[in-house]
Amino acid sequence: MDQFSRRTFVERALTSSVMGLAFALPTGTVLLTPEEARAKDVPLRTLSPEVAQMLEKLGETIVPGATAAGLTHFLDHQLSGDPNDALLIARYFQVALPYKNFYAAGIKTADDMARKNLQKPLASLDSNQMETLVKSMSAPGTAFGGFPIFLFYMCLRSDAVDVVYGTPAGFEKLNIPYMQHISPPEGWNG
Amino acid sequence: MAKTLEKVDVVIVGAGAAGSVYAAVLAEAGKSVLVLERGPARKMSDLYSSQIWARRLKWSAPEVVEAGPDSIWYNFNAGRGFGGAAIHHYAVWPRFHAEDFREHSLFGKAIDWPFEYTELRPFYDQVQRDVGMSGDAKQEIWRPPGDDYPLPPVPGTNHGKVLKRGFDALGMHTAPIPMAVLSQPYNGRPACILDGWCDAGCPIGALANPMAVYFPRALKAGARMQADSVVTRVLTDASGKKVTGVEYRTGAGETVVQPAAAVVLCAFTVENAKILLSSANSAHPHGLGNSSGLVGRNLMCHPAVGIYGMFKEEMQNYAGATGGQLLCQDVYGKKSDPGGAFGSRQWEIGLVLKPNDLLGIAMSNPTIFGAQLHKFLADGARFMGSMVGVCEDQPSRDNRVELDSRKDANGMPLARIVYTKSDDGKRLWATAAAEGVKIFKAAGATQAWTSPPGGQHIMGGTILGTDRAASVLNAQSQSHDVANLFVGGPGVFPTSSSVNSTFTAHAVALKGARYLASNFSSVKS
Repeated sequence: MDQFSRRTFVERALTSSVMGLAFALPTGTVLLTPEEARAKDVPLRTLSPEVAQMLEKLGETIVPGATAAGLTHFLDHQLSGDPNDALLIARYFQVALPYKNFYAAGIKTADDMARKNLQKPLASLDSNQMETLVKSMSAPGTAFGGFPIFLFYMCLRSDAVDVVYGTPAGFEKLNIPYMQHISPPEGWNG
Repeated sequence: MAKTLEKVDVVIVGAGAAGSVYAAVLAEAGKSVLVLERGPARKMSDLYSSQIWARRLKWSAPEVVEAGPDSIWYNFNAGRGFGGAAIHHYAVWPRFHAEDFREHSLFGKAIDWPFEYTELRPFYDQVQRDVGMSGDAKQEIWRPPGDDYPLPPVPGTNHGKVLKRGFDALGMHTAPIPMAVLSQPYNGRPACILDGWCDAGCPIGALANPMAVYFPRALKAGARMQADSVVTRVLTDASGKKVTGVEYRTGAGETVVQPAAAVVLCAFTVENAKILLSSANSAHPHGLGNSSGLVGRNLMCHPAVGIYGMFKEEMQNYAGATGGQLLCQDVYGKKSDPGGAFGSRQWEIGLVLKPNDLLGIAMSNPTIFGAQLHKFLADGARFMGSMVGVCEDQPSRDNRVELDSRKDANGMPLARIVYTKSDDGKRLWATAAAEGVKIFKAAGATQAWTSPPGGQHIMGGTILGTDRAASVLNAQSQSHDVANLFVGGPGVFPTSSSVNSTFTAHAVALKGARYLASNFSSVKS
């Protein structure tokens, strides 16, 4: 078989771009990465502050760096729009529409698990307890109170992996070329 | 009240692979052709290199209800918008084998097709010339007779070379994987640049998606494509013997009647069945073209197993053509599975691995989280190998598409899937999983593991057949009940084989399209 050299790959690697989404601000709609939206404290449209905090805490335990990468702003943006435009992996898992109901039920179930198994609400768990909680969610097929919590864990984990590693900047962290075939046009690129 | 438009010769419902073939053949034959697509219009420049953005190419709404017990992974397999599912397909294009067409006659299992491989061969040969396939036919020792590929194999990376060692060590044969991806420039299209974004859509047209090959031909010949048009019903005359057109809803919510002399449904497996069932009328009380009661039945999906492993070498797994570098069909004989299951299997070897998404590095082992996940990803990006085992599914009338009691925004019932994997398919999956780990270890993997059961390629629901009581369509993909109604896509397959479905969907569509073009005057309403 013909071989393609690493040098050729690297030569074809293009410069990084980031994941830009349209966020509504009082001054108008702007294109921001989820990371920028978090840094600017863009108001959330769908997630309540309490739910956002719990999602952030879970996401950060699953994929360190997810908070700074703007996981909750990414989720809030995706859960607020047309499901046909959603960039969530939940669509691949045949999650019933609307996706926001699934995320609401998932975070409530995780909180219920924390209260039952660790005798504290999720928001009050320390880092060791968060690891214990996530470990109990991450066993394939796990359900709690009739809810498929493993499926929720997989979706949230994938969302967190997307914002931390699924962008050109994320590829760079792994020292692999992104090799962007075509640059997203203005309006897609923050 | 619905607005009625001027009559056209042919309405094609669905802008995917089969629809593109019908559109090109019929428009080039001088017919007026309108392609209606429920999803958005899409240009090649919309195909951004990103696993995240690629999710918009796939299905989400209206919801397809998977009632279980098993899943056909509808949303992952289906597409929406111009290009359909083929806009995000991997373009791995082996042919069905001769025995796939005669399983009932030869083995007393499954269902015979209404024709044999020899009858379909010229259409495979024509399609591979049209799209510019790459491969090495001589090295595919299992391949049925056919013309050589017009182009040499797509180049590989160390990934394929390392995994080949395992097959060699176990005395198994491999060949360059046949792909509808250009290894060299062909008919004005450029060669693949091996960036591994095939399933995000290939914007340069090196991969033969519908927007790269057949739709440009159709448009040049005068066909029209219209997005955001949801076909709700196929209409018939009072006798029910001829279709008269379709009814569709626009994005603005307007109901429109488009009269046509012939209708071709190419809206993918589940939607085709849903539209036919939703088109019931007094002449067709159980659904259009459903005198057999088999519209929606015999739904199939290939059981698939991902094999993953860590190696000591740099694998260059981030690059290449996404669908793999090598193919092995040593266990293709219907009775060759060492576990004793009936049916065929194949290996697609050396698939591109990106960090994220369903088939990416992170998801290969979802139990890992926290600090360990970064190390796993960093190691995986350098040292991980991957291949996929695809197993045959068996047709069963119990596996079906039906109409749900809930309705979507257009007033159409949701599609509801009832599906159970075949016992043979489950057993093939189990032996493939064990064999795959063994191959990886023989190739030098320091650790190897499998994915949970998955599903690839959705087939059946509107199957071809000779017996009108046991099938929906005849050998020309024409309804047994309604002469000017045709169906295209993998939904017409009576058996699934274990090979990727898109090449055969093209070949069968080309056969049907040529028949319709040649017999238009006797078929039309």
